Amino acid sequence: MSQVVRAFAPKADPDKCIGCGNCQLYCPEGTVMLNENKKPIFDYRYCKGCGVCANECPVHAIEMVKEGTQ
Amino acid sequence: MINEQFDRRYTDLLMQGGTQCCPGCGGPLFWKIALEALGPETIVYGDGPCAMCALRNIKVPFFAIHFSFIADGATGISAAMRVKGREDITIVSSGGDGATGDISFGKVSAAAERNENIIQICIDNEAYMNTGIQKSGLTPFGAWTTTTPTGKESNKKDIPLIIAAHKVPYVATASVAYPRDLQAKLRKAKEIKGFKYIHTVIPCPTGWRFDPAKAVEVTRLGVDTWTWPLYEVEKGVLKMSRKPEQKPVTEYLKAQGRFRGLKEDQVEHIQSEVDARRKNLLAQEGKSLTL
Amino acid sequence: MSFTRMMEGNEAAAWGAKLARAEVVPAYPITPQTELISSIATLIADGTMKAEYIKVEGEHTAMAAAVGASVAGARVFTASSSQGIAFMEEALWQPPGRRLPIVMCMVNRTMAPLGGLRPDHTDSLLQRDLGWIQLYCENSQEVLDTILMGYKVGEDRDIYLPVAVCYDGYFVSATATPTTVPDQAQVDEWLPPYRHEWYSLIPGEFKMPPQESFLKIRMGLEDALQRSKKVIEAVDKDYKRRFGRGYDGLLEEYNCDGAEAVIMTMGSMTGTARDVVDEMRAKGKKIGLIKMRGFRPFPTEELQRIAPKYKALAVVDRNNSFGSAGGGIVSMEVARALYSVPDRPLLLNFHVGLSGTDVTMRQIEYMCKETLKAAETGKVKRVVDWVEAHDLGEVM
Repeated sequence: MSQVVRAFAPKADPDKCIGCGNCQLYCPEGTVMLNENKKPIFDYRYCKGCGVCANECPVHAIEMVKEGTQ
Repeated sequence: MINEQFDRRYTDLLMQGGTQCCPGCGGPLFWKIALEALGPETIVYGDGPCAMCALRNIKVPFFAIHFSFIADGATGISAAMRVKGREDITIVSSGGDGATGDISFGKVSAAAERNENIIQICIDNEAYMNTGIQKSGLTPFGAWTTTTPTGKESNKKDIPLIIAAHKVPYVATASVAYPRDLQAKLRKAKEIKGFKYIHTVIPCPTGWRFDPAKAVEVTRLGVDTWTWPLYEVEKGVLKMSRKPEQKPVTEYLKAQGRFRGLKEDQVEHIQSEVDARRKNLLAQEGKSLTL
Repeated sequence: MSFTRMMEGNEAAAWGAKLARAEVVPAYPITPQTELISSIATLIADGTMKAEYIKVEGEHTAMAAAVGASVAGARVFTASSSQGIAFMEEALWQPPGRRLPIVMCMVNRTMAPLGGLRPDHTDSLLQRDLGWIQLYCENSQEVLDTILMGYKVGEDRDIYLPVAVCYDGYFVSATATPTTVPDQAQVDEWLPPYRHEWYSLIPGEFKMPPQESFLKIRMGLEDALQRSKKVIEAVDKDYKRRFGRGYDGLLEEYNCDGAEAVIMTMGSMTGTARDVVDEMRAKGKKIGLIKMRGFRPFPTEELQRIAPKYKALAVVDRNNSFGSAGGGIVSMEVARALYSVPDRPLLLNFHVGLSGTDVTMRQIEYMCKETLKAAETGKVKRVVDWVEAHDLGEVM
């Protein structure tokens, strides 16, 4: 697998999250999933930082931060 | 720990995360959604769109030739499966818009005429994106591409309607912005014998010119403005999947850089075309679309 | 039960496909192949043959469906001619590149706009570089037998190559000659079911050849073609042992004992040439005939071995390669094969039967005489001789 180059990475605020699953549903790569606590976790090996998850979150619980600071 | 969880997830999803597609590409999103509905007893045949990069990550048997070979290889695979007594395996044949609408158009039509027992999918990003954004027959009116720098002068070919005219058992339009709808359609198609056609417009942030984060949002606008209405044609009868409150088409057009050059009269033309189609669809709802 | 009756080449080919138990037949009609596929349709309809016959909408699709079916594990048969072969050209690269043992009949027909429906060999020879095995048949019997041999050779797990069984439109395809159709049970014993060890599309058993460099794939393909020479010979001998008919593999020397001059023919004209050579031999002329049955892989080693026996060798090209280094396609390959042979014969090249005109006994006699003259005088009058341009008197 080639190196993933990302400018931004997703970071979740579990307190804001309502566990709706939108992020998991709409992530084009499948690199967002809800864990056993129904909070989003990210596969930073393959996430491209596209930002769809953050955009689709109805409560803005996901923020796109500068790569390296997630 | 998290990595193992994800590795297990990719196995369940039948798709490896991390494709070579652009960030925000609707291709991997389509396959991620589709494979969940199709399940492991599936063979995928197909090529063409840069969503092809997504196909390299799927975890079901896959075979492709070129985009000028759409539906034909699947025809052969389908025949071989009949010979082997394995008609239980779902055969999905996919192609992009250039493949389905242009270079392999005759082939898709012929496969429909033969009523091949396949699910023919068009993954439509509305131009030849893989080769650097050139116009296809399915590029919408007014869109910028490298070969239509002043905006496409002709209309988008209406492939779903053309296929419906072949009197195949099932035709549908779908959107990655409405994944459950797409999955329901795929599950329904799986149970039908004969030629099934599902046409999905997918977002292309690179070719349509918008922030990748808006990929699903823009796609949703396509449906909500009735630019890309969702419907089924089952045994010739039209059924609307969604009848959203119509948003003005400018919301959809303004969200994409490829429509930046549109003049006011062109926008009006687009709106009137969309309105006419909405009117016709609503009028034909519940009726047979074929003559 | 085996049976013998008068049969046209196309019908014989259909019986070949039936005996081989071809499972998927994607095909599109084109003159002069049409009776082949309609014969298959009839055999299927009356229950004699069991196969999936896909009535595709064009030749490009026919070959594409063939590739899909072959990768998916079915034994595939198809056929085309001329414009149809050209139309499927893009797809013709797939079987050799992917090492799929598809057997197809190329029912030779000239290419438009340089002719109508009649045969010359340009259509199949045009595809010579792709990696298909190409075998040229003289009559209906040979067509049937060669199809069976084609599957045996192509499906050899050391080979895995597609085979083109070529035969002249009309002169073979539509000419009835006595043909023996062997017993199905005997063929089943000789030709096992198709099983490609590199490919499977069944979920849970998914298999594709490993990702190799293109260089490796190309070298592998070339290697397989070279290896196939021995397999073609061995299968031919085995077929003769089993069914009583053999064709000497890639090259046949006919009535060549003591010959000083030989002409080399391909396809249906070989039958006529046999008669002419026999007649001339009876009159004491030292002329022989070489039948080129296999054009790909080119029988270089065998030709290098037998050619020095003769003083003059005439290659008869029923094709054109416009603007070529010198003459027709077969003669140029022969020249290359013999280039390094120190005691090689004088080389003559004749064009005849172009666009499917009849190749007459008088024309063959002319070619034989010219070749004998060259053997005698040590000189070649014309490097490339378009026989039809001469007025040779009334047709004989």
